[in-house]
Amino acid sequence: MKAWLTFSPSIVNKAIISNLVKNYDITFNILRADITPKGGKMLIEISGTQQKQAVEFMEKEGIHLNPINKVVKKDEEKCIDCGACISLCPVEAIKPAEDWTVEVDDLKCIGCSFCTNSCPTRAIRVME
Amino acid sequence: MWDIMKTIREINQKIKDGDAVVVTAAEMTAIVRENGAKQAAEEIDVVTTGTFGAMCSSGAFLNFGHSDPPIKMSRTYLNGVEAYSGLAAVDAYLGATQPNRNPDIGLEYGGSHVIEDLIRGNEIELVAEAYGTDCYPLTEIKTQITLESINEAVMVNPRNCYQNYSSATNSTDETLYTYMGTLLPNMGNVSYSSAGELSPLLNDPYFQTIGTGSRIFLCGAQGYIIGEGTQFATEVERKNGVPVSTAGTLMLKGNMKEMHSDYVRGATMPKYGSTLYVGAGIPIPILNEELAQQTAISDEEITCRIVDYGVPRRSKPIVREANYHELKSGVIELNGEEVPTSPLSSQKKALEIALKLKEWIDKGEFLLTVPVEKLPNKGRTVKPLEIQKPRILVKDLKGETLILAHPTDAISEVARKMVQNSINHLPVVDEGNKLLGIVTSWDVANAVAHGKNKLTDVMTKKVIIAREEEPVDVIARRIDKNKISGLPVIDSDNRVKGMVTAEDISRLIGGD
Ligand code: SF4
Ligand code: SF4
Repeated sequence: MKAWLTFSPSIVNKAIISNLVKNYDITFNILRADITPKGGKMLIEISGTQQKQAVEFMEKEGIHLNPINKVVKKDEEKCIDCGACISLCPVEAIKPAEDWTVEVDDLKCIGCSFCTNSCPTRAIRVME
Repeated sequence: MWDIMKTIREINQKIKDGDAVVVTAAEMTAIVRENGAKQAAEEIDVVTTGTFGAMCSSGAFLNFGHSDPPIKMSRTYLNGVEAYSGLAAVDAYLGATQPNRNPDIGLEYGGSHVIEDLIRGNEIELVAEAYGTDCYPLTEIKTQITLESINEAVMVNPRNCYQNYSSATNSTDETLYTYMGTLLPNMGNVSYSSAGELSPLLNDPYFQTIGTGSRIFLCGAQGYIIGEGTQFATEVERKNGVPVSTAGTLMLKGNMKEMHSDYVRGATMPKYGSTLYVGAGIPIPILNEELAQQTAISDEEITCRIVDYGVPRRSKPIVREANYHELKSGVIELNGEEVPTSPLSSQKKALEIALKLKEWIDKGEFLLTVPVEKLPNKGRTVKPLEIQKPRILVKDLKGETLILAHPTDAISEVARKMVQNSINHLPVVDEGNKLLGIVTSWDVANAVAHGKNKLTDVMTKKVIIAREEEPVDVIARRIDKNKISGLPVIDSDNRVKGMVTAEDISRLIGGD
């Protein structure tokens, strides 16, 4: 799953993440992070069999979890494979295939909408 | 110098007999690399090229037919997009970049979208207005048309198929929306627009076979080159025989009734405007060894400049030169950073077009033409438009006495300075007069209200600035875009030289 984590300053220095990985055997991927002494926000992707327990642990530790249910979809009829969207994606979710068909990887997408706003044919959309 | 090995007439005979050997420009690169140009020239008859890119200088002549009673249309609107009607009674020219007259739709549905809808066979609302004459009494008309119902729909594009085109990046700290797509701040991306080795005019760089009357692939139909395009140039820097920047262009014509929406699309460059994606492909007859060599050009051998669109001037600074192989790899190095690239023109469709043209020739459905007149290959440069009124630069504005604040100043002192001089902004500078931030009367009021007394806590550190050498018009747009009322003027050493305000500018613009 992908989710935004919001946490308060008091826990910035705690070793929550290492405990998480150690105790629940999950893979933890940080896609984006904005951490300051005043707390922060982090976009993560976690996977593993003990996901649910891991989430419960985080909530108990005072981390607010906000799952992302956004998906990016490309209308294949409208898309002209121009590639304008490729370099705008902050997480490299959009890539050209060998034959230059522009492909989006839904799992990588963080729903930022940069591509949507810049597509000349309005072919790519982010949906809840 | 090069012996003619074949003529176009001979190649056409082979096409009719089903014996012509046709390859795409990408295939030709490999063939010449392997067998050499001489052997390739003997074996290959035609090389097909293709491009599918945003070409703003495109449009269509339409003839609607006469109504009863008749009307001499002086203004026409197609789905709300105005077409130029200063022609005979029911002729109009619809330009690809014309925005919608409904401001809520604006750039989202413009001339290019109407062209696509026509080609798709969709119904279009036609509204026409006229002043009424004895022979054309009607003054208003509102009806539905389709591509089939009107007499002619002829695409005539004054400038398509740029021989080469600079790539774009953006050094400023704000996102720019341009005809080269969205450019991220701090050189966050690069967009390029040429199809590189597949691009038509890069495969016959001296126009030995291309000219007025050449039959081509245009948006799925068989169209024609009707001459050199506008802004045509030949006297440009070349590397490996091909221009490193804009040079040759083409004026193209084709019958929209034969076109297909797979190869032409209406589009909108966000916050820039509508534009037409045009698919064009040109067959190059391989008449001699030199043409074999030229059509073998590879992406590595074609140089492209990367320029900084952060400078909104006619000539933009060149950041570096790259070749299309690098650009197409997806990342390029700029000042030590890896920067992602975007093609902007469809490389996939460019190849599809080259293959489609090959298929037509293979099937004998498309014959080559001897141009009536070749395109000029020397002596042409592009002239700039000089503005008669002298350009006013920021440094030409009459500066008032410079009032500045320092980080150590007390808020009360800053407030006093503002009131005394009746100003709303104060640049905050260090001892060397270098800009640290800006403080507005609002910041001061806010500081007082919240009991803050350190200037550095209330000032804005990210300041929008004006440089001395920038034209005032550019600053007017910046003030407008950022919804601010004034900005500090900075010299080349980042020292503050003064302030320029919205009032200064409107006084200047209103005063002439
Ligand atoms: S910008 Fe739009 S049209 Fe171009 S490749 Fe991306 S989704 Fe397709
Ligand atoms: S929404 Fe953002 S993250 Fe998702 S594909 Fe588009 S640019 Fe990439």
